[in-house]
Formats: sequence, structure tokens, C-alpha cells
Amino acid sequence: MTHAIELRKVAKRFGRTEVIAGVDLAIARGERHAIIGPNGAGKSTLFNLISGRFPVTDGTILLNGEDVTGLRPFRINRKGLARSFQVTNIFPNLSVFENIRCALLWALGYRYTFWRALSAAADARERAEGVIDAIGLARRRDTPAGTLSYAEQRALEIGITIAGGAEVILLDEPTAGMNRSEAAAAVALIRKVTEGKTLVMVEHDMGVVFDLADRISVLVYGRVIATDRPEAIRADARVQEAYLGTAHA
Amino acid sequence: MPAEALGSKSFNMGSWLAWGAAGALVLALPLLFRQGFALTLLSQMGIMVIFALSYNMLLGQGGMLSFGHAVYSGLGAYFAIHALNLIGKGVLALPVSLLPLVGGLAGALFGVLFGWVTTKKSGTTFAMISLGIGEMVAACSLMLPGFFGGEGGITANRQAGPPVLGITYGPAVQVYYLIAVWTFLATAAMFALTRTPLGRIANAVRDNPERAEFVGYDTHVVRFLQLVLASFFAGVAGGLSAINFEIVTAEAVGVMRSGGVLLATFIGGVGFFFGPILGAVIFTFFVVAISAMTKAWLLYLGLFFIAMVLFAPGGVASLLALNLSAARAGLLGRLAPAYAASAAAGLAALAGFVALVEMIYHLKLEAVNDPVLRLFGLTLDVRAAAPWVGAAIVLLAGSALYWLAWKRVRARWNEVHERLGERGA
Repeated sequence: MTHAIELRKVAKRFGRTEVIAGVDLAIARGERHAIIGPNGAGKSTLFNLISGRFPVTDGTILLNGEDVTGLRPFRINRKGLARSFQVTNIFPNLSVFENIRCALLWALGYRYTFWRALSAAADARERAEGVIDAIGLARRRDTPAGTLSYAEQRALEIGITIAGGAEVILLDEPTAGMNRSEAAAAVALIRKVTEGKTLVMVEHDMGVVFDLADRISVLVYGRVIATDRPEAIRADARVQEAYLGTAHA
Repeated sequence: MPAEALGSKSFNMGSWLAWGAAGALVLALPLLFRQGFALTLLSQMGIMVIFALSYNMLLGQGGMLSFGHAVYSGLGAYFAIHALNLIGKGVLALPVSLLPLVGGLAGALFGVLFGWVTTKKSGTTFAMISLGIGEMVAACSLMLPGFFGGEGGITANRQAGPPVLGITYGPAVQVYYLIAVWTFLATAAMFALTRTPLGRIANAVRDNPERAEFVGYDTHVVRFLQLVLASFFAGVAGGLSAINFEIVTAEAVGVMRSGGVLLATFIGGVGFFFGPILGAVIFTFFVVAISAMTKAWLLYLGLFFIAMVLFAPGGVASLLALNLSAARAGLLGRLAPAYAASAAAGLAALAGFVALVEMIYHLKLEAVNDPVLRLFGLTLDVRAAAPWVGAAIVLLAGSALYWLAWKRVRARWNEVHERLGERGA
């Protein structure tokens, strides 16, 4: 069986700084995979490589067995991978509805059409409204996204990511900056909207990680030092040393 | 959801009414203004409306600040006037009414030619390359006198070819109606384009190009298509100006014209579809009407533009929308007295300022022949001290009163904002 995502010896250097130092990682279809690690370990960079935001320095990235190394973000997206961002990345002057609808137009095959009215695109409208219901922003449908509260913008961020129906979803710190109840709501939302999909997430909140993930990879100084089930990761001495820094206490 | 269905229905009714009223107004205007000058003014306004709306497809809708949009309108105008001459010679069998289409296609063709390079990046890169292409085409106009007509430009006679339905384009009113029909069609088409997948994605690319790439869109292609479509409408405007003036000179592709359309669009307001229409009307009024009254018109236009950028960066359209929202809530009555006071004070200050400017111009340019300036029904001797002192007093007193009145406007607006906020919540 081919993996949803497979990284082979992926490396990234910015000048002389090696941020990702030869990562091998295979994530199965339908798996919920969390990437954890201390600050500056290269978690976000790894996401940026997989999603095509940065080119890799070395190595190969496969999406469903297909080589996507070096492709532009929109090409990778069209092959079924969507991502969210750690710093909210939405269309601030467009309404919530337009944000979501724009996010699914390509997936529905509307491409660059300029000879047909959007009002006739019932499928796009219905699906956008379904997503807005799912992320709990129905009451804010016509509000400009830039004026939403922080938690609402985070929900919209996830909505934009899942709207196109991509099979592989990358979420970069989806609960960053949220309080406990907001984070719990976000986890429930993520669980609901990624049902049956492959989910890879970077997350700092260990509660969220152990709650959601089937497997966890620990990234330290650009290397994956362990990939395993949550209970095994919790017990792993190397992880405790590297990540929690308390092993020899 | 019944409420929503009702809402969208009434919106459609409202928009049909608005479009119908605009169409009727355009048809009726020549009956209201019978003088030739008014017709000239209205014709140029129509052309500028198309040009500014096409510019806003780039700036307002696509987030592309262009310093070279006249390239597309100007080249469209040149192709149109050469086609007009071919019609006159009997080589080309095309009704003059369809000539703007030639301009549009030429504009779009050059949009394809230049656009792929210019739209590679947005922001400063796009602005700089558009400026470069503007300079390049302007330079070509001097190097290729055969096509651009050198100093004198290319002239033509619009009464060319057999009349279609009795339309000869001899009388100016026929040209006005030609421009009116094309303006109406082009406006409707550009409005429709904002509501297509490409139009909406162009907004998304304007807001956040990076995010657009991560939902499957190649932002370069989006910007490119948007520019080609905008160039088409710019070319239509150019074709109409070729018919209207029966001459196209190198100015048509020049930096001045590119700057002018930026000014007009910004004054009107880039954030609203109808903003550039207002901007085009105001801008053309300056260029055609105020320039006929005073040599200082460019100074006034520049100051007006600066004032808009500083105090109303959303343009006239945003001011209108703001007051419309107050009017809808029935709160305009609270603002009216403060508005009236500040308008009176503002007009006084403006009169004092205009008097000073006109006296300076008169002193420098005309005073040798005649020291007396006639302004606002007054005769002012610019060599005497009294008019200067008087104008300065009016300016200072008006400004002081305006400052006081404006504070009241602000205070009233704060109240209105609070009330609007309560209703919105």
C-alpha cells in the first residue's frame, strides 16, 4: 500500500543553517499523525517543504506515491493536499462565505471561469454553507473575515483548509493561542472535519496531541528521533531527554 | 430560509432599478444639457468611466497598482483610428459603431503580450514593470512615426463608410449616444465579471496571494487573465476616444494618461465597484470644465487628490456609503446641521484660497496687460494690497470656522457610530 505522505532523506538548508537534516517519514492513509518537538526544531519548516512553500535542498517527497518534490503549492494542492497556517492566513476583506467558497472553487472544477456567474454555481454555494455550518460560523456568514475574533479566524483557517475536500490535511498549530475550552472545541472540530482523511498536525498542546494522534513523530534539531504510538512516545527515554529535558533529573 | 430569499429578491429588484435608472439618466442627459460643451463633457466622462472601471479591475479588484494602463487604452485607440481610416478608404467593411471592439481587441492583444511578464509578481514589482512598459511604449511612439503619427498624431474622419440605420456620426449627439451605449454595456460587463469565479478569485489573490496558491490557484494566471480583460475594456475606451476626437496622439499612451486614470480611480474609491464611475466624472470635470475656467486647474486637481488620499482614502464612494448607512438608520438628520455648518465654512475658506491662487496666477501671467482680475463677480486689482488682505482674511476665518465645524461633525459621527453599532449587535 502506498503511503499518503512519504519523505525520503528530506533536507533543508537556509544558507549554512541546516534546519531539516535528512528526515525519513511515512504516514499511512487515514492516519492522524502529530509532529512534536521543541521550539526551532523545524516543525513548521517541514510543513512548508511538504506543501511546496519552500523548495527542498535534498531528498524526495511523495504524495500518494507520486513525486511532488519541487512543485508549486497550487499544484500540490490540486493533487489533494491542503494545509493551514500557524499565523492565521485568510482573505481579510472577503466575507466568511466568500473565503470558504474561494477555497473550494478549484476543487469543484470552476478554474478561471469568467463567462459564468457564480450565482449559478449552486454546488459551490451549498458546499460552502455546509463547511460554514461545520466550523460553527453560520451566524458570521457575511462578516468580513478580517473583523472576526481570533478563535473564529482559527476556525475559518481550518474551514478554508478542508473546504476543497483534500484527502491529506496539514494543520500547523491549530490551537495556538487558544484557551482550554476553545482548544477543546477546536479538537472536536478537527476530529469532525478530518473524518476518514489523513491528518498531519504540528501541535504544542500535549493534551491535544495525545487526544487526537494515532502516531507521533518527535522532531529535534531537524531530525526525527522517534515515531511511534502515543503511549510508546510517552515512555521513550530519548524523547523525554530531548523534548522534556527532564530525563536525568 | 424565507428571510434570506426575500433579502436576495429585494436586492435584485434594487439592483435592476439602479441599472434602469442609470440607463434612463444616460439617455436623458442630452435633453437636459443641450449646449455643445455639455455634450463634449458628457462624452469624455463616458470614456473615462470605462477607462477608470477597467483600471479598477487591476487596482481595486486584483490588487495591482499599474502606472502604465494608458498603454492598453492608447494602443487600442491607435488601432481603432487606423481601422477608421481603412473604413474611410473602403478597405474595411465595418460599421463605425463597432470600432470600439477593434480598440478592445487590440488592448487585449497587448495585454496578452505584456501581461505575462508584468503579472508574474504583484506589489511593487508589478508597479515598477508596468511603469517600464509605459515608458517603453511611449518611447516607441517616437521611434515608429508611421504607426503613431509622430508629433501630429493620426487623424481620421468618423463619418466613414455607409451609414447604418441612418447613423453617420456627423452630429455630436450621435457620438454621445454611441459612447453612452458602449459605456453602459462595458459597465454592465465589468460588473458581471466581478461575480464570476475569476472575479472572486482575483479578490482573494488581492487579499492574500499566498493563501490563494494553497487553495489551488496559480496567482500569476489569475492576475494575467484579469489584466487581459482589463486591457480589453481599456482598449474599448481608447476606441471610443478615437471616434470622439478623430485624432490620436502619442499622449494617448503616455505617462500622464496612466497617472490620470490612477487619480480618477482613487478619487472615486477603489473599494467599491461604482467608485471609479464617480471618480471619472469628477476627474473629467476637472480636466474639461475647470481647465476651461482657470489655468490653475492642475494645481486644484493635485490638491484635491492629496486631500482625498489624506482624509478619505476610501474615495468619494466610501464617503457616500458611510452616509448611506447613516441615512438607512434614519440618523442623517443628526449630521445635517453640522454638515451644513462645515460646508459653509469650507466653501468660504475655499473661496479665499481660490482667490489667492487666481491672483498669483493673474499677477504672474496677465498683470502686464490688465491688472484687474474678475472673480466671483468681483473686480480685483492684483497690484493693490486690499484684495490680497481680504482674500487672506476670508481664507483664515473660513479655515478657523471650518476647524470648529469639523469638530462638531466628528462628534456627531461618533454618536452615529455608536447608534449603528447598537443596531448591528
